[in-house]
Amino acid sequence: MRSNGSLLLIAAFCCMLFASCNGHEEKAGDEGYKTTLTFGPGQEAKIAEAFLSLKDSSVIRLAAGLYKFDNLSLAQLRHILISGEGAGKTILDFSSQSQGGEGIRVTDLKGFTIQNMTMQNSKGDLLKINKSENVVITNVHAIWEKADSSSGGYAIYPVLCKHVLIDSCVARGSSDAGIYVGQSDSAIVRHCNAFSNVAGCEIENTTHAEVYDNEFHDNTAGFLVFDLPGLSKRGGFVKAYRNNIHNNNIRNFAKAGSFGTAWGVGNASPGSGVIILATSNVEIYENQIKDNNSCSITIASGLAVDDKALEKVGDSYFPISKNISIHDNTVSMGNAFPQPAYEHHIGKILVGIEQQLIAQDASRKGKRLPFIMYDGISTNLLTHGAAANPDSLCIGQSGENMFVNADFLNIRTPAKWHPSTDMTPYRCK
Amino acid sequence: MTKAYFLTLVLFASVVTGLWVLPGCRNGSSGGVHDTATGGGVTTGGGATTGKSAGFVFKEKLSEYGFFKGRLADLVPSEGLTSYELVTPLFTDYALKDRFIALPTGKKGRYLSQGVMAFPDSTIIIKNFAYRNPAKQKIMIETRLLVKDPGDGAWKVMDYLWDSTQTDAVRHITGAKVPIILLDDKDNRISTVYQVPNTNDCKRCHSNNSILSPIGPKARNLNFVREGHTPNQLAEWDQKGIIEGLPALTQVAQLPDWKDSKHYTLEQRARAYLDVNCAHCHTQGGDALNTGLFLEYEQKDPQHLGILKSPVSAGGGAGGLNYDIMPGDAGHSILAYRMNSIEPGTAMPELARTVIHREAVKLIVDWINSMHEKK
Repeated sequence: MRSNGSLLLIAAFCCMLFASCNGHEEKAGDEGYKTTLTFGPGQEAKIAEAFLSLKDSSVIRLAAGLYKFDNLSLAQLRHILISGEGAGKTILDFSSQSQGGEGIRVTDLKGFTIQNMTMQNSKGDLLKINKSENVVITNVHAIWEKADSSSGGYAIYPVLCKHVLIDSCVARGSSDAGIYVGQSDSAIVRHCNAFSNVAGCEIENTTHAEVYDNEFHDNTAGFLVFDLPGLSKRGGFVKAYRNNIHNNNIRNFAKAGSFGTAWGVGNASPGSGVIILATSNVEIYENQIKDNNSCSITIASGLAVDDKALEKVGDSYFPISKNISIHDNTVSMGNAFPQPAYEHHIGKILVGIEQQLIAQDASRKGKRLPFIMYDGISTNLLTHGAAANPDSLCIGQSGENMFVNADFLNIRTPAKWHPSTDMTPYRCK
Repeated sequence: MTKAYFLTLVLFASVVTGLWVLPGCRNGSSGGVHDTATGGGVTTGGGATTGKSAGFVFKEKLSEYGFFKGRLADLVPSEGLTSYELVTPLFTDYALKDRFIALPTGKKGRYLSQGVMAFPDSTIIIKNFAYRNPAKQKIMIETRLLVKDPGDGAWKVMDYLWDSTQTDAVRHITGAKVPIILLDDKDNRISTVYQVPNTNDCKRCHSNNSILSPIGPKARNLNFVREGHTPNQLAEWDQKGIIEGLPALTQVAQLPDWKDSKHYTLEQRARAYLDVNCAHCHTQGGDALNTGLFLEYEQKDPQHLGILKSPVSAGGGAGGLNYDIMPGDAGHSILAYRMNSIEPGTAMPELARTVIHREAVKLIVDWINSMHEKK
């Protein structure tokens, strides 16, 4: 009996241990993680240390308040959750970043969730997630309070990842793309809001992406899908639906040097709703695409922006867009180009196409550039063929003034240049 | 009786579980992490915490290893420690670097014609970083260790930060910013805030396809005659029994000395510099894989080398320029632009450089400008 009594004492002690631990540690959503670390504002040094010494299956909780960091990083871990108490409540500020390319750098994680916080004002990108799997970014507001060329490139930036979910996030003020999914496979972007960026959202060299129920507005360009040459993989199989893409008319404030930026997002003309460039198997449907006042939807080849694009053809790059399906979108445009389009190298071309159409057909006077602008550069160029629609474009949009093949191949020889509004070959069958 | 046994078992299990949970509890409630371990799950003095890798335990102070004899800051190697140099080293703010390697007694490394040589478990590589102050004294900043952990055969990293009295260096995982005034190679005074890397910074440069490894000790970068030594360094290693399998030196590749314009062309020197300073990230499997810019010495694809290659995700870091390398026009080449910057988000390499390497910028500028005719 006596021994049993002492055992009971030990048992009681153990229960107390558990109780005290559980009281401090367990919060809703932490089930399945081994360890939870909780911090508050003022503990930045300890937080940075915790990021560096974190073990697999850990949660870091950051209480509401303002935190100031140089930068943070996570590397080579499994099953990690970083959680704040809410966007606008838990705020991570990186304005004192003194080294590196981003505010938060995540490399090589398997199972990473970050949620419920605002991160802001880094020198480089805000949240870069490199070579990771099963990534979830939820209710994260990634912003630069001042949107200009000194802002970092990307707000939310998973690259070389597999299985990515970006849900209910806000991206604002990026000098490149607010939400940028690069060289990844299986990505979902939904319920997000991106504004005051050069590009709202970009899907680049990424396969199997779905982008839906987002609002991309008041950027230079709303939504872009494209492939660049020389990278680890080719993109494709991208769907964008039920998005509200509107009023993307602001100046392209990507840093421009004496050459002007003739690559990537620097090519996005102010006033662009959707841009599809040098990629394949893309479906854009049931979106609201309104008041993007240069061009609602652009379908272009890599040749439109790079004379040497054909030299770069390989396993991971083909510059001519193929299998592009655009249907059942609600599209409208304002009466005039936004002023910044007149100062942009591609914007000027769009203005020129609108004028050329009027010059060819006086009855178009007062009509805007058609909603869908196709550069007309097809694989006929490679095959020397004359097929009407060799790259399987499918336009399923009713209404007037919907489409123009802008005949980019002849754009530099005015005598031959003849943009055509005949949509017949491209109608969905 | 059986009941008592059962109870005892349950209690024993609870105690064990309780003790196991405790450390996590302490971390959680105190809001800090005192277990300053690296990825290997090891702590000071206490042996393995997880039980998985009963391997190498990093000591708290540099002096505890007994690497050096006499005054620690003199870095006089003890028995078993071999100093070495690289023909073209990584630039780190004009730091003076001392490199040492220690192999376990009786064990040898294996020569490999490509990449870092194969070293046995328990090999330790030591790299000390110091600078010259305006009084031309050598001041220690940090000492980095790479250890091939016998517990799991994986390389582990640790940094030791020197104290202000220059008597010892203490284990340090969080990185540090050290304001210094240094002298560059031409005795110009430069004021900067030296950045000691944190352990994730170490992993970024030292990992390829998630596997951490040394960068420097490749045969081709060791294959030269050190100043003040007579035989070739690899031959010295062979004689000392550090490596085996060394073929005739004529068959061993040699990385050009980036400063030696007598024996090497401008292109060879530029490519050697880019290899050592960039290609640990800018390579297949490296941290900069996403950029498609690959700068290994053996790289031949002009697109991967950046020639008329548009950047991918440089954003404003590209300075509004169109190409990584514009042949004949370094002023419009992003490569030179980023090497010539110390702004976060622009500066390359991203880590471990807060000062512009003027001599190297000149080398790369000259190289790019010389490409004119080949265009």
